[in-house]
Amino acid sequence: MEPTSATMPIPVDWYLYLSAVLFLIGAVGVLTRRNLFIILFSIELMMNAVNLNLVGFSRFHEDMLGHNFVLFTMAIAAAEAAVGLAIAVALFRNRQTLMVDLFTRMKG
Amino acid sequence: MVEKILFVIFAVLTIIGGLGTVTRRNIVHGLLFLVFTFLNVAAIFFLSQAYFLAVVQILVYAGAIMVLFVFVIMFLNLRTFQQQEQTHRRQRWVALGLAVLVLVEFVAIFAGMTFTSARAGFSPDMVEQSGGFTRVFAWSLFERTLLPLEVASAVLLVAMVGAILLVKKEKGGDVATQAWDPEEAPPANVRDEEV
Repeated sequence: MEPTSATMPIPVDWYLYLSAVLFLIGAVGVLTRRNLFIILFSIELMMNAVNLNLVGFSRFHEDMLGHNFVLFTMAIAAAEAAVGLAIAVALFRNRQTLMVDLFTRMKG
Repeated sequence: MVEKILFVIFAVLTIIGGLGTVTRRNIVHGLLFLVFTFLNVAAIFFLSQAYFLAVVQILVYAGAIMVLFVFVIMFLNLRTFQQQEQTHRRQRWVALGLAVLVLVEFVAIFAGMTFTSARAGFSPDMVEQSGGFTRVFAWSLFERTLLPLEVASAVLLVAMVGAILLVKKEKGGDVATQAWDPEEAPPANVRDEEV
């Protein structure tokens, strides 16, 4: 469906489709890969998909609040990457592997 | 029209980069594909008149976060990654089927939606009046979202301290190695090949 906006060159639903595809690629990556690093990469992909949506709608509504939220998403992504990589280092010291299905100590 | 064509090109490249990220067996190749994806997303930000965010995307995502990843991969001194099946074989088809199903749902929902906005994108007049995109961005950031901004800085500080604590070695030898239980060890051949 075409948005009502006349001057916006890129239809806002294109952003929706792109970010849906990118988000699902990330979700499939998290679900199927065994390597902890690839799982962290996939989480970053999903965050980028969300950012695309925020930027697209921010332009559509002519409101900068979406851009501000993208900045916060980036800050949280940086924090998440730092803590995630620290956990990866600690796990690798403990178990000499990064394959997530080999971390079974907590298995009930 | 030109913007639409460029958007499609960068969108296709973004998706190719994303697919490369989750399918590569070698994590360094996956990382390079991820940087490629980030750069294409930055290009789409440029097309969407989010100039400041595009630059931040390149500096912070493709720059700082990726350097962090590369540093940790180097720090862990991982051996070769070839020859080893790195996916959950049984889970793979279920995950793919679910993803396609969700995508179909998304498309069905989006196709039935009409988006209306009182305004129509950033007009050149509006930008000129307000003194540029970055100025509007900064005004919005410090006027409307000042408290979240401060909270984000605190979150970054906590994450930094937490990361340092997690990576720090304990005093008196490597406690982590002592806690290692041989019964839990993966088979030797698995350990050697896949890490």
